[in-house]
Amino acid sequence: MDIRAQVSMVFHLDKCIGCHTCSVACKNIWTDREGVEYQWWNNVETKPGTGYPTLWENQDEYKGGWEAEDGRLQLKLQSKIGTLGNIFYNRRLPTVNDYYEPWTYDYEHLFNAPEGDDQPTARPISLITGEFMEIESGPNWDDDLGGSPVYASNDPNVGSLTDEERTQLNEIERVMFFYLPRICNHCINPGCVAACPAGAAYKRGEDGIVLVNQDKCRAWRMCISGCPYKKVYYNWSTGKSEKCVLCFPRLESGQAPACFHSCVGRIRYLGVLLYDADRIEEVASSPESELVEAQRGIIQDPFDPEVIAAAKANGVTDGMLQAAKHSPVYKFVKEWKLALPLHPEFRTVPMLYYVPPMLPVLAKMKDGKYDVADAEVEGLKPQLTSLENARAPLAYMANLFSAGNEDIVTEVYRKLIAVRVYKRAEKVGDITQEEAQEALALGNMTAEEAEAIFRLTALPSFEERFVVPPLAREVAIEQIESPYDRKREGGFGSRTAPGRRW
Amino acid sequence: MLALLAAVWLAAGSPAAAQSADDGEAVFSAKCAACHTIGGGTLVGPDLEGVSDRREPEWLSRWIAEPDLMLAEGEPIATDMLAEFNNIPMPNLGLTDVEVASLVAYLDARSGATAVSEPEQVQAVEPIVVGPFEPSGDTGKRLFEGSDRFDNGGPPCLACHSIAGIGALGGGALGPDLTGAYGKFGESGMASILAAPPFQTMSPIFDDRPLTEEEQAHLALFLSQAAVSSRTAASVGQLALLGAAGAVVLLLATQLLWRRRLREVRRPMVARSRARIERSRQAEDERRGTTSETESR
Repeated sequence: MDIRAQVSMVFHLDKCIGCHTCSVACKNIWTDREGVEYQWWNNVETKPGTGYPTLWENQDEYKGGWEAEDGRLQLKLQSKIGTLGNIFYNRRLPTVNDYYEPWTYDYEHLFNAPEGDDQPTARPISLITGEFMEIESGPNWDDDLGGSPVYASNDPNVGSLTDEERTQLNEIERVMFFYLPRICNHCINPGCVAACPAGAAYKRGEDGIVLVNQDKCRAWRMCISGCPYKKVYYNWSTGKSEKCVLCFPRLESGQAPACFHSCVGRIRYLGVLLYDADRIEEVASSPESELVEAQRGIIQDPFDPEVIAAAKANGVTDGMLQAAKHSPVYKFVKEWKLALPLHPEFRTVPMLYYVPPMLPVLAKMKDGKYDVADAEVEGLKPQLTSLENARAPLAYMANLFSAGNEDIVTEVYRKLIAVRVYKRAEKVGDITQEEAQEALALGNMTAEEAEAIFRLTALPSFEERFVVPPLAREVAIEQIESPYDRKREGGFGSRTAPGRRW
Repeated sequence: MLALLAAVWLAAGSPAAAQSADDGEAVFSAKCAACHTIGGGTLVGPDLEGVSDRREPEWLSRWIAEPDLMLAEGEPIATDMLAEFNNIPMPNLGLTDVEVASLVAYLDARSGATAVSEPEQVQAVEPIVVGPFEPSGDTGKRLFEGSDRFDNGGPPCLACHSIAGIGALGGGALGPDLTGAYGKFGESGMASILAAPPFQTMSPIFDDRPLTEEEQAHLALFLSQAAVSSRTAASVGQLALLGAAGAVVLLLATQLLWRRRLREVRRPMVARSRARIERSRQAEDERRGTTSETESR
């Protein structure tokens, strides 16, 4: 056992209102500099949609992530020899048009325009060329053109759906959409780190945060191609690659990352997971339908004395272990099995988990009443939602969260529905206890569990959502070098700016 | 005391001067005879008979030592001579001060009556001895290009020189283009250069690896043939064409090598979708058109 600690995350999609506050908080802290205007380390996508960059999930085009051939893991992008052969020409880079051309507006003109018959307008100006431009795309174009036949119907996850399910997605009054906020997944088996020829991308030992060393980065940009989530970006001004740093300076001082802290819907949870690094290859190369289960298996019980001993032997601090015991992520992912990784089939073992969105309530006008479930027609019990007449095709969710394995998604939804039915029976009383018990049985859970899930979903305190471990950077550094020597020899401001500038 | 010193100087000086003139003869035949005679008439450069009378000794010394500098300075006599002798500048032969002094002494000694007495001997350029073989221009060309090696291991001419008639890429650019060289230096001048190149760049290479007489004959013939032809505009065009073709081949090769690269994603996707929507709209219109027709009937 090689037990390591990982600061990991859960996003509860049912609570996301798509306000983009997270994106703006991140932008204001990290990406408001020259050269990174187009980068959104945190972005919120509207699903079904093509995302940012366009069609990032389509690895036939982008070749990100890993593939397992005969149980052997191999980067989709290229072999090691391929990296050498293509080092001066990376064949798999998105163009800026696939992200979007960043712009501002000619606000000056509103004040300086000569008097005329028409109101002056502020035309968009490209932040790359400085010329007036035509806006063709934006960081969440799917939201702006929600459900359009150009964007939504090209969602790669729609591919395996039946024609009926597909038309249902776009049918008026039955249209279904939800928001998908994305940051770097800080994967256990990161494609960006594996693809980097310079050894600049690395996974921090003590907390598993994936970073790009700005001093070592040589701009080969293989990380951008290697990451299947397209969460490493190239700064065209400094000539270095940059990515989400999980606000590690904030974490190191005990604060939650900016996007977590600012989240209006309080959808985000942060906590420590302990995992067995010996099993990474085995987990990442499992057959597709078993990937989620394998990924749950690599996460270790923080209360198990054997795990604790192994973790301590590996230098995991007591503070970290304590945080792991209170981790909301552990509960959502391992205990309750509610949170699922995004696209586990990319085989990077992502450490950001999503609770799938609750199925939008299907309602119909009947006898002048807006009825939430067409129980009589379907011959089903009048539950608030029932999986059987769900509006969202389970296949779509399975393509997103379980590599196409619908059983896993069904299991999660049974639980979510059980919690909903149980609490409705308790608080509103228009559902009988009998039905509530039946729903719990379907969800394979106890009333206590449903209560706990409800509490952590609807009523968590700030401290319950963000269990930030003491990162103890000074202890972590001790494993590599003497902090006293470093302080004396390195001193203040030993870092050098890149030749081209920050 | 002074007289004694003077006597010593004289005693030491006169044999030294004599020695100097003897050395000068050797230097002359090695370095100067390619272009100059003493009483043998004008070759590439002027006949040096009586040169000591015509020029100041200081001028003569400096001219022998650094003619390039004097020409660069625009020294009037040097400039006039350059024009007189087909604009072929006298090269800087890289002679030491002692060699210059001995040459001046030799020229001094050969000036006047003594020189005239034996003009035949002065003829340093001996006609190339043609043995039982026939010199061949083709062999000369092969030697020039390096297809045939020089027996003593000298580098082929092509390494530094270009010349007409050796293909579009020409030769090296360190030395001058030799197309018109034969015309400039003439038969005897060229023969002498081939026997022992007097030029500063060439002599360190070819002093140790001289050309054999046969090689000299082949090359001389080739150079004389080249003198007739000249580098044509066509060969320059050929070079440009070759370059363009090379660039195209390189481009094609990279295109082929990286043909499965990622091109744009979003714009092609949007174009495809718009075309699809347009098609279904047209199909819908047609369908409506036919139904309304049947309805109206």
